[in-house]
Order: sequence, then C-alpha cells, then structure tokens
Amino acid sequence: MNARLDSFSYDDDIVRKFLWATMIWGLVGFLIGLIIAIQLPWPGFNLAPYLTFGRLRPLHTNAVIFAFAGNAFFTGAYYSTQRLLKARMWSDALSRFHFWGWQAIIVAAAVTLPLGLTQSKEYAELEWPIDIAIAVVWVAFAVNYFVTLTKRRERHIYVAIWFYIASIITVALLHIFNNLSVPAGAFKSYSLYAGVQDAFMQWWYGHNAVAFFLTTPFLGLMYYFMPKAADRPVFSYRLSILHFWSLVFLYIWAGPHHLHYTALPDWASTLGMLFSVMLWMPSWGGMVNGLLTLRGAWHKVTEDPILKFFVVAVTAYGMSTFEGPMLSIKSVNALAHYTDWIIAHVHTGALGWNGFLTFGMIYWLAPRLFQTELYSKNLVNLHFWLATFGILLYVVAIYSAGATQGLMWRAFDETGRLQYPDFVETVIRLIPMYWVRVVGGTLYITGATIGCYNLFKTWAKRPATYEVPVVQAAPLSAKDTDEHAPAVAGGLLARFTHMGWHRKWEGMPLFFSVMTAVAVIIASLFEIIPTFLIKSNVPTIASVKPYTPLELAGRNIYQREGCFNCHSQMIRPLTYETERYGDYSKPGESVYEHPFLWGSRRIGPDLAREGGKFPDLWHVRHMYNPREVTQKSIMPAYPHLQSNTIDFGSIQKLVDAMAMIGVPYGDAVNKAPAMAKAQAEQLAAAIEAAGGPKGLADKEIVALTAYLQRPGRDLKNAGTQ
Amino acid sequence: MRLSDIMGAANLSVYAELAMILFLAAFVVIMIAIFAPGRKHTYDAASRMPLDDEHPQTPR
Ligand code: HEC
Repeated sequence: MNARLDSFSYDDDIVRKFLWATMIWGLVGFLIGLIIAIQLPWPGFNLAPYLTFGRLRPLHTNAVIFAFAGNAFFTGAYYSTQRLLKARMWSDALSRFHFWGWQAIIVAAAVTLPLGLTQSKEYAELEWPIDIAIAVVWVAFAVNYFVTLTKRRERHIYVAIWFYIASIITVALLHIFNNLSVPAGAFKSYSLYAGVQDAFMQWWYGHNAVAFFLTTPFLGLMYYFMPKAADRPVFSYRLSILHFWSLVFLYIWAGPHHLHYTALPDWASTLGMLFSVMLWMPSWGGMVNGLLTLRGAWHKVTEDPILKFFVVAVTAYGMSTFEGPMLSIKSVNALAHYTDWIIAHVHTGALGWNGFLTFGMIYWLAPRLFQTELYSKNLVNLHFWLATFGILLYVVAIYSAGATQGLMWRAFDETGRLQYPDFVETVIRLIPMYWVRVVGGTLYITGATIGCYNLFKTWAKRPATYEVPVVQAAPLSAKDTDEHAPAVAGGLLARFTHMGWHRKWEGMPLFFSVMTAVAVIIASLFEIIPTFLIKSNVPTIASVKPYTPLELAGRNIYQREGCFNCHSQMIRPLTYETERYGDYSKPGESVYEHPFLWGSRRIGPDLAREGGKFPDLWHVRHMYNPREVTQKSIMPAYPHLQSNTIDFGSIQKLVDAMAMIGVPYGDAVNKAPAMAKAQAEQLAAAIEAAGGPKGLADKEIVALTAYLQRPGRDLKNAGTQ
Repeated sequence: MRLSDIMGAANLSVYAELAMILFLAAFVVIMIAIFAPGRKHTYDAASRMPLDDEHPQTPR
C-alpha cells in the first residue's frame, strides 16, 4: 500500500525564530506594562513627552497582543501545522518574509506610538502605512498557509488547524474594515466612519480581535499541545468541533457589549448581550475538554511544570469566559464599565490564558527545537509559581479597584446628592491597589525573565548542527474517499447525520475556509449594515457643527497624547452619570467624530460636557501641571504644550481630509490656516487678559484648550436657540 | 436620493433578527450532526492525530 512515500523534512528553523521573538517581545511588552502601572500611582514617572501614560498604554497593548501573543501563535502554528498536515510549509521564503515583516511592523509600532502617531482606535492605533504593511505580511502568511494545506498528506484536517484557519481569515477581515481611513499626511489619517458607526466598527473589531487573535489561535494551540504534553488525545474530539463552530457562529455577534448604555441603538446592544451569554456554554465546553484531557494524568501535573502551566491557562480561560458573558449583562456592565474591573478581566485572560499557554508551549518546544534537555526544570517551576502569584496579586487588587471605583461613582448620600462629587476622590482610593498591582506585575516579569534565562541556557547547550529528521508520508490519493468511515446505510437523514457533508468540507480546505469566512461575513454584515445605513439610528441634531480648524488641530493633540486612554467622552443615561457630568450623550452629537473618541476607561472624568465648564486659563494651568490645580491628581503633566508651536500650514491638510469624508467644512476648505490663526490669537489674548502666560498664540496649548472648550457646547447652543 | 435613504426605507433591522435565527438554526443542525451516534470510530482516529505525527504514515 505504501509503495510510494514522499520524503521531506519540517522547517523548524522558522519555529525557533518565532520562539525567540515571542519571549523577547513578551518581556518588552510586560515591562512597558509595568511602567504604565507605576505611572498611575506615581504621575512623576511620566518622564518625557514620549513616555507619558497616554502614549505608552497603546504600546503596551499592541506589544502584548500582536508581538507577544502574535509571535506565540505563529511559533505554535508553524510547528503543529507542518506535523498535522505531514507537509513542510509551502514556501520557506514566504515564511521568512512573514517573520521579518512581522518583526519590522513591531519595531515600527514601537517607534511611532511613543511619537504620538496614532489612529486612536484601541488595538488599531497604528497609522495607515503600517496598516498596509500588516495587510501585506498577513496575506503572505495566509497564502503560504493555504497552499501548504492543499499540499498536505493527511486527509483529515485536525481541529487545531480549523481554529488557525478561522483566525487567519477573520483577522484579515477585521483589520481591513476597521482601518479604512483617509490619509491626511504620511502618518495621519481619519477614520472613514464617524461617531456611532465608527464605535460600532471599532468594537466589532476590538471584540473579535480578542476572539480571533487571543482566543481561537490559542485554542488551536491548546488542542495540539495539551494532548502532546499529557500524551493522551483530547477528551472529546466532538466537543472540540462543537467548540469551534459555536465560536465562529457566536463570537462575531458579541461586539456591541462594549457599548452598552452608549449612543448605540438598543437592539444592537441587546443582541450583543444575548450572544455573549450564549458564548458561555461552548467556552466552558472547551475548558472542560481541555482539563479532562488530563484525565488519568493528574499525577503527572504535580511533577510536570509544563502541565501546570497548561492547567492554569485553561482554568483562566474558563474564568474569563465565564466573566465575559456576565459583564455583558447590562446591569453588571453598568457597574463595571469604565472601571478597572475590565482591566482585571482582560489580565485574567492575557496573563493567565495567553501567557501561561505560551510559556507551557515554549517549555515543551524548547528541548525539541534545541535538541537538548531543558537547562533547569526547577527554574520552570520557579517561573510558574512567581507568575501564578503575580497574577493573583494583580487581579485581586485590580478587581477590588474596579468594584471600589464603580461603587463610589454611583453612591448617593441621604440628601440625594453624589457622595463623592469630586472625581479625584474616587481615584485616590485606588492608589494602594495600584501599588499591589505593581508588585504582582513585577513577580510576573521576574518569572518571564527567569524563563528567558532558562531558554538561553538551553539554547547554549544545543548541538553544533541541528539534526533535521527526514519524515516519510504517502501523498494523498486523488480520490476523495474516507476509509475510516463505516458504510452508511439508510436514507437521506441517516446520511446527513453521519456527516458525509461535513467530512467533505474538512477534506476541502478551501471550501471549508470559504464557509467559515462566509459565516463570519454574513454575521458581521447583518450586524453592521443597519447601524450604518438606517437613518433613524442616528437622528441628526441641527446645532451640531464641525470643529473649527483650530479645534481640529487641538483634537489632534488630544489624539496624539492619548488622552482618550484616561478620559471617556460618552455619558451614559444613568442618574449617577448625568448627575456628575450633565446630559447624557446622543448619537447625533458625534456625526463629525472621525474617529470617535468615546474612550473605554475613566481614569479621569468624562469630558463630553467639558466645553465651558472651566475658564480657558484653568486648562492652561491644569495641562501645565495638573497638581497645581487638583492637588491629588494622577494626570500626567504636559508642560511641552506651552512651548510646542502649532504647525498652522498643516491644518489645511487635516481639514481637506475631513471634507473629503463628508464633513461640511464650507469656507474652511480654502482658508483653514488663516481661520485657525485668527481664533488662536483671540484665545491667547483672552488667556493673557485673565492673567495667564503671554505669547501663547502659536502654541499647542491654545489649540488643545480650544478643543477642550468644545465638547457639549453644541447641545447647549441647541437649548438656547 | 442617497443610499442611506434607500436602505432606510428597506427596514433592515428585521434582517438582523432573521440572520440571528438562521445562525442559531445552522448551529443546532451542526450540533445534531456532530453528536449523532455512529461516528465514534472516525473521531477517535482523528483525535489521535497530534500524538502519532512523528512517525511515517500509511496513506489515508
Ligand atoms: C493617566 C490618566 C490621564 C491622562 C493620560 C490624561 N488625564 Fe486628564 N485627568 C486625569 C485625572 C485623574 C483627572 C482628575 C483630576 C484632575 O482634575 O486633574 C483629569 C482631569 C482632566 C480634566 C478636568 C476634567 C474636569 O471636568 O474636572 C481635563 C480637562 C483633562 N483631564 C484633560 C486631559 C487632556 C487634554 C489630556 C491629554 C493631553 C489628559 N487629560 C490626559 C487623568 C488623565
């Protein structure tokens, strides 16, 4: 039968490359996380304009998601795919291109984000030239991957690979649609969508980035590496298939739960909530499936630190997928949204699920890739315990911070007034917990550093040349038969339930991928189209006008400094919010908001009604040093705004780009710089007259102040007209 | 007439609910198909794939 066997070898060199990239970028990402964790309780740690919280926070999230978790996915995918398909990757050149391209993108992110070049959409901050590079590299990866699939020597495609396929397709889709924008310069662009639509698109993306970048790829890894490490097959293969389809069908609908109580139509957020709750079942199915894979091997867990990492990873997956649906229930969400609760939720998933699965996988891979024993098993154990305690400290502290702040925001006293009307009171209360987080994070990083050291020492013991084993496998026969399947008797129904069709799909990767893509696209379209095109969803408000050119320049500074990482601009229709901030936000208010800047976390107060709340000079002083105005503030100081000059010439480009995507700019299309100058001079004169610093007319602080005096103004004007 | 007027008149939000029901139906169908008895053998074979991927294989 095996008269004709192909001989070939696997490309493990690429796996080694990705493995190092994972660990190194992981350390970098964690370190930046530690820096911003210190900046919150100690604002003096915002050492330079490039290193303030608002600029580093996106760098942290991008580094851990796309650099650490991304490279971890590629490491595991390149290793397992080749083996599961009995085929070397189709093109070594494309694999290398993928590797170096991806690392170059990470470096570009590490340079541009501190420079303040950002689209200001969470996890999609990178500006348009980098976005294009990402698309190119991703397509190269996908082409290499799918051609390899067609060249495989196994008929059945193992479930791990389904997860990879779904991830590859969906990430491409998400990335392209969310990043559609109009350039206004080499490193500046405005989202094609505005306000509600932009928010919807962003959280369709943001949520599914979590799903298809941090969940499905890692489930694929789990379904391959858990059985490997435990040396027994997955508990129930059927459950894993069910797990797959339910994620593909359900996840894509859940995005709107990030936008409860916002200016999003009600039906959309209810839909998001329903699907999120339904997700709980398959997720737990997956968790149970992972844990039961260890049935009869629990004694091994006590001895094998790799299995320990896996057990905690799968448990963390279970915890965060239980909590996720809970948080998407509107009443729970009302309490938790905008608080540290969400940060804790994310870190259970990221540190526990993604981190521990990655570490377990890497420790399993290292001896095989470096072809020598692991340098020290004790150090692996040490890493495990340090990181576990690190996570515990982190999440316990930050969950309590979230609950504390959420409860303080909504507390009324006996007279019916807000108990903590001063926002900063609700911040000060969190400082001790922030310090506990710093300790937890330090433990986690120490663990990862020990891990790197251990890997380095292992690598140092490698043989002079790696052995490249030759694998033999028979090519697939042309006819598409299924030898394992018993003959099916009976009629149509029996044949159907015997899943002949499903087997066929699995055997045809292209068709299978197309079906996955179709499922995802249809769900997305039906979810998104109505918000985009039904007029009644966004009733217009006549008094809402575009920003003046100067305000637009100020808004750019707001984006550049990443103020939206600490400030929301979205007041929910809840008594304690309207009491604190003013009238709740309406969809029609943000029709010119390219991109939307609603924010997702309130480390500082909401700014949607900031316009006119304080005198101009207040903002000048506050931005120069917040602690001069609000004693215990943890906001970074921005003294450089008083010395940086406004580039009036470039304002025209900004206005033109905005006009191009449909913002009615009228006159300003021709004379934006002149209009901006006039407004700046007027404002600077007023600041000077009020006793403020002289000569601010061409300084950035004036543009920012002009912008900060705008939010909510249009609605107030509507009232007086 | 702008595209949004046309789409607005089409009352598309019904389709969102319709699509949701279709998705649920498709999901239930897949679920029944997976758990219908009689395919255990195939699944058992498939579930061993990660474990026996180191050795030469016979055609399948
Ligand atoms: C680390 C988080 C953080 C960042 C980043 C941040 N802020 Fe703040 N901001 C705060 C906190 C906390 C307060 C409340 C204490 C105070 O008034 O300083 C605040 C208060 C404010 C206020 C007063 C709001 C009110 O109504 O009382 C304004 C205006 C403001 N920030 C603007 C900005 C701007 C503009 C930026 C970007 C250049 C920015 N903030 C960046 C945390 C932050």
